[in-house]
Amino acid sequence: MRLPKFAYAEPEDIPAAIAMLQREPSAKILAGGTDLLVNMKHKVETPPLLVNIKRIAGLSYLNKDSGHLRLGALTTLKEIAAAPLVGEKLPALAQAAAAVGSYHHQVMGTLAGNICQQNRCKYFNQSQWWRSSRPNCFKAGGEMCYVLNKKEVCFSCYSGDLAPALLALGARVVLAGPEKAREIALADLFTGEGKHPLTRQPEEILTEIVIPEEALAGASGYVKFANRESIDFPIVGVAFWAAAQAKEYRVAFTAVDRKPIRGRQVEAFLRGKDLNAEILNQAAVLAAKEASPVKSSLYSPAYKRRLMGLLLHNAVDKALGRSGK
Amino acid sequence: MKKAIELTVNGDCHGVLVSPNNTLLEVLRDKLGLLGTKRGCDLGACGACTVLVDGEPYLSCLMLALDAVGKDILTIEGLAEGGELHPLQRAFIEKGALQCGFCTPGMILTAKAVLAEDKRPTAEAVKQKLAGNLCRCTGYKKILEAVLSVAGDHKEA
Repeated sequence: MRLPKFAYAEPEDIPAAIAMLQREPSAKILAGGTDLLVNMKHKVETPPLLVNIKRIAGLSYLNKDSGHLRLGALTTLKEIAAAPLVGEKLPALAQAAAAVGSYHHQVMGTLAGNICQQNRCKYFNQSQWWRSSRPNCFKAGGEMCYVLNKKEVCFSCYSGDLAPALLALGARVVLAGPEKAREIALADLFTGEGKHPLTRQPEEILTEIVIPEEALAGASGYVKFANRESIDFPIVGVAFWAAAQAKEYRVAFTAVDRKPIRGRQVEAFLRGKDLNAEILNQAAVLAAKEASPVKSSLYSPAYKRRLMGLLLHNAVDKALGRSGK
Repeated sequence: MKKAIELTVNGDCHGVLVSPNNTLLEVLRDKLGLLGTKRGCDLGACGACTVLVDGEPYLSCLMLALDAVGKDILTIEGLAEGGELHPLQRAFIEKGALQCGFCTPGMILTAKAVLAEDKRPTAEAVKQKLAGNLCRCTGYKKILEAVLSVAGDHKEA
C-alpha cells in the first residue's frame, strides 16, 4: 500500500520544528510512525508535510528530578517497559507500555506518540476501498457519523494504553510552542471530541511527561482486555493507583469514550475503604456507569460496560499483588 | 521531490533515489532487489517485513526510507557469513520451523534481536517477543523450539 505524497522535513531542534509547524498548520509530527503511517496508507490522514522529530537530540530520557519522574517524548515504549525504576515504582506504566501492539511496535513507538495517537472507529480505520462503498464518515472528511447516524459529530474512541495508566498516576505533560512551554494536566490534553481529540495546538509539540513524586510511592496496575494479546488495541483497559498511606485511589479507563477518562464516582466510593471483594463488587457496578460507550468497534456497549467493572477488580488485584480470580 | 540518499544495508552502502513517501520496505524490495524482506499486510500487523535497524526489530513497512538514513540495516540476506548460514537459519531448517517460508525472514530477524539482548531467554519471553510475527502455516511450536535450541547453544559462549 503506497503512502500518499507529502513533503518531509527533519528539523534539528525544537524551535526549528515549531517554526515548520507554524508555517504549515496541517503538518503532522512523525515519531514512531506506527499509528500515523497506517492511517496515511488508509488515506484517512493526508498531511501535506511530515515533520520527523526523531532527529532532535535529547528527547529520549527518564530522569528523576526533585522527586518527580520526567520522561522525554521520544522515549520508546520498550525502554519504558524495561526501565527498572518504572517496573518497580510505576508498574501500571510498565504494564501499559508492554501491552501496546507487538514487540516491534514497542521498539518503534514512542511515549508521546502513544499518548497523541489518533482516535479509532470501525468506520474510520479502514482502507480507502472499504470506505468507498459510501461517503466518508465525518472524521474521514465527510458529513455523517455512521456510529450514531448523526451529522457533524464524531464518536471515535480513544484507545491508547498509556494514557489511562498516566491518568491514574496523575501525570502532567509539557507542550513546547512558539511562546513559553506550558505544562498541563494530562487530562486537559484531551478534548473529548472525536474529530479533534487533542487540545494540542498545531504548532505545539509534546516534549515531556511528568509523573509526580506521590505517584511513585503508591501501588498501581494496568489491565488490558483485547481480542488478541499479541497485537490488538484494547476492547477496554483499566488502570488503578492506590496511595501509599491514605486510602486514596485513582481509576482510569480507556477505549470506552472519545477520550481516556477518570472513574470519579468509583474513586469517591472507594475513598477511605478497604478493598475487599464485597466493596469491589459494588465498585464494579459503579464503574460500568462511568462511561457511555457507543458501537464504534465490534464490541457492544453493554459488553464494554461489563468489562469496565470486571477489569477494575483485576486491576486492583494486580496493583495490590493479590492473585485475583 | 526525489532525493538521493545513502542507505547502509547488510554492511554495504547503497546510493538510492527515493521519494518521501517511499517506505524502507519498498526501497529494499523494489530498488535494491532484496526480496527476502516480505511484504505481508503492509500495515504493521504481521511482522513479515521485519528488518533490524541498529539491531532492533523494526517493521520496514512503517518506516520511511528517509528515516533510515544513517542507520545500520540488516535484512535476512545479510545474515549468513562467508557462505555459512547463521545458527538461527540452520536451526530453523533442522527443526523444520518453516513451511512456506514467508514469515521466516521476519521470525529469524526478530529472534536474532531477542537473543542479542538475552542469550538465554525463557520460552515465555521468546513467545512474547515473536508474537508480532504471524505464521499462517501454524508452525509456532517448531519455531519456538528452533529459537530455544540456538539459545541453548549459546549457553557455553
